Amino acid sequence: MLFSLLGEVTGLMQSQLESVIRETEKVIIGKRTVIEKILMTLLAEGHVLLNDVPGVGKTTLAVALSRAVGLAFQRVQFTPDVLPSDLVGFSMYDKNSGEFVYRPGAISHANLLLGDEINRATSKTQSALLEAMEERQVTVDGKTYPTERPFIVIATENSVGTAGTQFLPYAQLDRFLVRLSLGYPDYEAQMTMLRDRQAENPLDSVACVMEKDELIALQREVRAVTVKDAVLDYITRLTMASRAHEAVEVGISPRGALFLNRMAKAGAYLDGRDYVTGGDVQAVFKDVCAHRVLLKENAREASVEQVLEELLKKVENPDRKGLFPGIKK
Amino acid sequence: MKKRWIGYAAWVLLAACLYFFENNTGTRTVLIGSLLFPLIPFLRTAFFAGDDPVREETARPQTVRAFVNQETDDPGDVRLYRPGDPIRRIHWKLSAKKNEWLVRETATEEEPVETEQTAVSDGSGRKRILRKRLLWISAGWMAMCVLLLWLVPEARRGIQALCNRVYSASEAVNAYAYDYFPVPEGQSVTVAVLLMAAALFALAAQMLLLRSRAMALGITAAITFFQVYFGLPLPAWANILVYGSFALWMIRRPVDRITALFCIAAILLTALLVTLLFPGVDAGTEAASENVRDRLSRMAQQLTGAIEELPEGETETRHVHTQSLQPGQSEAQADREYRLVTVEEEQISMPRFFNWIKTILLFLLVIFLVLVPFAPFLLLNARKKKAQEERQAFASENVSEAVCAIFRQVITWLKETGHDGGNLLYQDWTDALPGSMPDGYAARFSACARDYEEAAYSSHDLPEEKRRLALSLLKETETALLKTADWKQRLRIRYWMCLCE
Repeated sequence: MLFSLLGEVTGLMQSQLESVIRETEKVIIGKRTVIEKILMTLLAEGHVLLNDVPGVGKTTLAVALSRAVGLAFQRVQFTPDVLPSDLVGFSMYDKNSGEFVYRPGAISHANLLLGDEINRATSKTQSALLEAMEERQVTVDGKTYPTERPFIVIATENSVGTAGTQFLPYAQLDRFLVRLSLGYPDYEAQMTMLRDRQAENPLDSVACVMEKDELIALQREVRAVTVKDAVLDYITRLTMASRAHEAVEVGISPRGALFLNRMAKAGAYLDGRDYVTGGDVQAVFKDVCAHRVLLKENAREASVEQVLEELLKKVENPDRKGLFPGIKK
Repeated sequence: MKKRWIGYAAWVLLAACLYFFENNTGTRTVLIGSLLFPLIPFLRTAFFAGDDPVREETARPQTVRAFVNQETDDPGDVRLYRPGDPIRRIHWKLSAKKNEWLVRETATEEEPVETEQTAVSDGSGRKRILRKRLLWISAGWMAMCVLLLWLVPEARRGIQALCNRVYSASEAVNAYAYDYFPVPEGQSVTVAVLLMAAALFALAAQMLLLRSRAMALGITAAITFFQVYFGLPLPAWANILVYGSFALWMIRRPVDRITALFCIAAILLTALLVTLLFPGVDAGTEAASENVRDRLSRMAQQLTGAIEELPEGETETRHVHTQSLQPGQSEAQADREYRLVTVEEEQISMPRFFNWIKTILLFLLVIFLVLVPFAPFLLLNARKKKAQEERQAFASENVSEAVCAIFRQVITWLKETGHDGGNLLYQDWTDALPGSMPDGYAARFSACARDYEEAAYSSHDLPEEKRRLALSLLKETETALLKTADWKQRLRIRYWMCLCE
């Protein structure tokens, strides 16, 4: 009885998430895995960093997703002269009333904030944004204003044309749950895209299939996904191995481990399960951890992906380790 | 860590070499000193594990450049705005309050004040650079001195003359025959001594600057070699002083009070042992040490119970030795006799000295031999218990537990027959499965692997049907593997089955 009920509820949510993916896929064609991962980040209450070349549809993706889920969308194009007050708002002196009045910034009314080319902003502005990401609140003149709920930031970073940019400091990179890249579409996908955009903008055809409150409910359910100690042990060993690896200067932080756990939960939920397996951790490991690992100067020839790959191969998976019920160690 | 062990190993090797030298010189001072010397830092690390000063020294904390910039909100520091004042000096808050433009007087004009920290860090940085330069200068100096000693004929002849003096001194004590250098009589050694002094000064500077343990080891080794090779041993107290000071040199910095006390105690103990047990050629303490040595060997004999029949002449030779030091005989003759006597003594007393080690080894061997026959039984029992426990879990009330156990048994069969998927998730083992399995086995395996994951990682129980599926998979695996496996693998499976029953 209980099983069937649980299955039904999960199935219902499942179909809803599926329809969100379908709606988004109308606009971004042939990128199901990336869309799924962004949706997972949404469920895990994290933020996304998109690292890509210009013109592959980062903005379009964000807009489509915000329409499909019914989120309030705000966009900030970062340039060196964007100030923190543009994001978090500022207090202005009203001469007539003789009081300071708070003028909200871009963050205040957004559920989904697209920060375009975040690496072009000054570090001051970056840190204002990142504080809002972490605390989910902004503080102006000693007054604290909570952001909208849910609040997700999709920041983009161009990998070409980096002249005049400031690289995100390591500590701030660490706050993004995942770093993804869309990549170019393949032949079929691009043909379909060209055909679709002859008459109208497909963005207009994206329907709102989920309410904001439903998303919040989903997030709550993701938080309730079971993670057994065996999996936590796996996450811990993976992250600790990354710190001990000889080519690694800075390994995965404890926050990285927390995020890995959250992302794995979201992955399991999207897969229709209410428990996390070692496979879920492995599936999201590279996306969650690639930007948290700094290699040593003398190990430049090894890429971060290679190192993470090696860790996945080397660290004993939870199936093999076998810390399970009925098995006495 | 590794380096330190290499150092110890080298030292032990050196000590072993020294032993052979000592057979020719008749002194044990050096041997025991050299053995105990590296023990001091070693014991120190054993007792006071923790900080590595070398790392501490290199990982000097980076001092933060901190600026003190005081904000003065005191209204006394403001005045009315005058045209020409820079805008950044306007006191905005006060201006807004008073409705007129006010300007800060002095507060922000002050230069940012550097705190002491920065000064200190700069100072130490300068010191480091200076130290580095001094190191290079002293190294260059030393190289130059050595080169000059070699190249300038006057200096070279001086060195040779000095060597001849050492030889003759050695000969006076030990009656050796050396090949003297052909140096004219009355050769002045002033230049050579001056150059050597300069080189030694540079060396001392290097040691002080570098604080290198390798260098301390090298210098003690050189001193040891000098003593042993020429048979010109320093008196025991001088050796203790030398080795003790070098041991202190080797001790890790920074030294706390306990460490220092411990080191001093260790050095005193070394001194006591050296003086009592191995006084070398110092005739004054010979009698006392002989007493101690006799007592020790007697104790060893009592412990082992194997009293060796000692040659009758053994005690007499010692009498001969003491007699030979009586006045009236020429010194060279006395020394020659002494050497002969000591060689005999070595040959007689060595085995007794090693009886301790022999006893310990024998004891260990006995323990080993007693334990070996029981080992298979102990191992087998543990395995059997584990296997049976797993079998019991097959029928467990908790279906998750049962599915886990059954699937792990399947995995065990696959591993035993050499189809190990390695560090892959069990889901992905389908590629590693043997090709000889029945049709659809891979699909059934991966379905069961999914059930296993649910059983292992979820918090809810599985339906009863899953146990049946898993058991059927286990049966299928067993029969298929038994059919295809070679005789060795079959034997292993049978063995496991036996264990389980």
